[in-house]
Amino acid sequence: MENFLLLIREDVKKESLVSEEEFDANIQKMTKWVEELAESGNYISGEPLKTTGRYVGKDYILSDGPFIEAKEAISGYIFIQAENINQAAAIAQNCPEVLDGRVVIEVRPIIEIDND
Amino acid sequence: MIDTSEQVQQKVNHLYKSHYGKMVSSLLYFSQSIDLESAEDLVQDAFTAALLHWREDGIPSNPAGWIFKVCRNKALNKIKQGEKVRGFFENEDFDGIETKFSESPIDDQQLKLLFACAQPDFSPKVQVVITLKYVVNLKVEAIAKILAMSIDGVDKLLLRARQKIRDEKILFTEPDIFFLKYRIPIVHKIIYLIFNEGYKSSWGKEIIREELCEDALLMNKALLESGIGNKETAALHAMMLFNAARFKARFGSEGELLDLEQQDRSLWNRELILYASKFMSDSQGGPISSYHYEAAIAYLHCMAKDFRSTDWISISKLYHQLLENSPNPFVEMNYAIALYYSGQKQKSLDILHQLQQKPFLNQYYLLNAALGKINLLEGNYSKARTYFTKTLQQTDSQLEKDYVQKLVDGMED
Repeated sequence: MENFLLLIREDVKKESLVSEEEFDANIQKMTKWVEELAESGNYISGEPLKTTGRYVGKDYILSDGPFIEAKEAISGYIFIQAENINQAAAIAQNCPEVLDGRVVIEVRPIIEIDND
Repeated sequence: MIDTSEQVQQKVNHLYKSHYGKMVSSLLYFSQSIDLESAEDLVQDAFTAALLHWREDGIPSNPAGWIFKVCRNKALNKIKQGEKVRGFFENEDFDGIETKFSESPIDDQQLKLLFACAQPDFSPKVQVVITLKYVVNLKVEAIAKILAMSIDGVDKLLLRARQKIRDEKILFTEPDIFFLKYRIPIVHKIIYLIFNEGYKSSWGKEIIREELCEDALLMNKALLESGIGNKETAALHAMMLFNAARFKARFGSEGELLDLEQQDRSLWNRELILYASKFMSDSQGGPISSYHYEAAIAYLHCMAKDFRSTDWISISKLYHQLLENSPNPFVEMNYAIALYYSGQKQKSLDILHQLQQKPFLNQYYLLNAALGKINLLEGNYSKARTYFTKTLQQTDSQLEKDYVQKLVDGMED
């Protein structure tokens, strides 16, 4: 099994238009999906992220970052284990938010560092 | 005698249910140049042909054989239309195969197909859906119902799986012996997930759900008997049997949900528990897997005379080890519940409150139900009510709602 980080990107402006009921219904669907992933042994952890934050670099000490301008922002991450990149991608493909077209997910393999 | 249109329809429906998957898998195995999609089309065509011809000529003496021959002829035509003509079916003994079909509900062919479905490139959910469709032989409607998906959702999932099979030229063929071993963990996982789907209480006493558990057991048994299975297969078998032994006691006379404490333990199937113990001892002597821990937990529940005398200390230790093996917040919740009943109340509540902070878990109905129940037992009725109210909002199952509502009503007295 290899580890993967699923970066969830969504349209921030659209997301703010979602009604509270819709929001709750979406969370229920996601919870069910995560429960399934836990059952199949793929789920490790995950957190939602605020879509605003700070951006730091050498020449600009602190700013609200370029991401506030961006249409899409990373709104959460899920850490999973999977057989291979294809399976990780297939898992992400079945995320209810992806199926409904609300988010896109970037699937990134974690580089394993050999300690030997 | 010409059969009535209704009789023909019934016969075809029956055959479709019992033979569809087997015919598709047979076509896949007989010719590598037929992909899954065309195999399905061919079998569909053959059934349509049966419906038309049998209305005119009556149902033949060997209906399954008739449809199978049509499949074969259509497959031969398809192969001839292609550039390469290979005589795939010439030397096959179809009559032998047809009798083999009816002998046993599970045969090597099905086991081979199960291994073919265990594609490491598919997500576990897709593996389960493909297995349910092609190995267990369920219709899309039934799959949608038991996996709480829409029919459209299952269709789309199958369509994407077929596209992937075509685009990436994934061969639905029996893997060689080396590959077979490599796929055993996935095969176990599929069987485990199918059993769990069948076991989930939220659906109530629907026949189809018990059938899923039986299917999982049959597939696992075939795996054990084939000699391909290992110690983990035996542990998985023991775990499923221990749980299946308690099946009958999980619902009351009105079909209502009963928790472990309320269940009439005399309804537990002693013979099945004994039978399961045999597999548990077979499973010893190798590496200890998650299935071993789960089997041991189920065993301890089966051995307890009543709820109170359950060995909660050992059960909580087993959950702890299960967590070390594969950390996951849902198992952690069960660990906390076992800790509560073993007397470690503070540690249990600390874990449950910690889990509440996790983004998905605070929306999880079972976590709120557990917190509700513990507060109820501790006499904190107002807190219990708050958690139960959340639970009621978070589950769609009427059976579960009724169960929680009963607990809430009980507090009023």
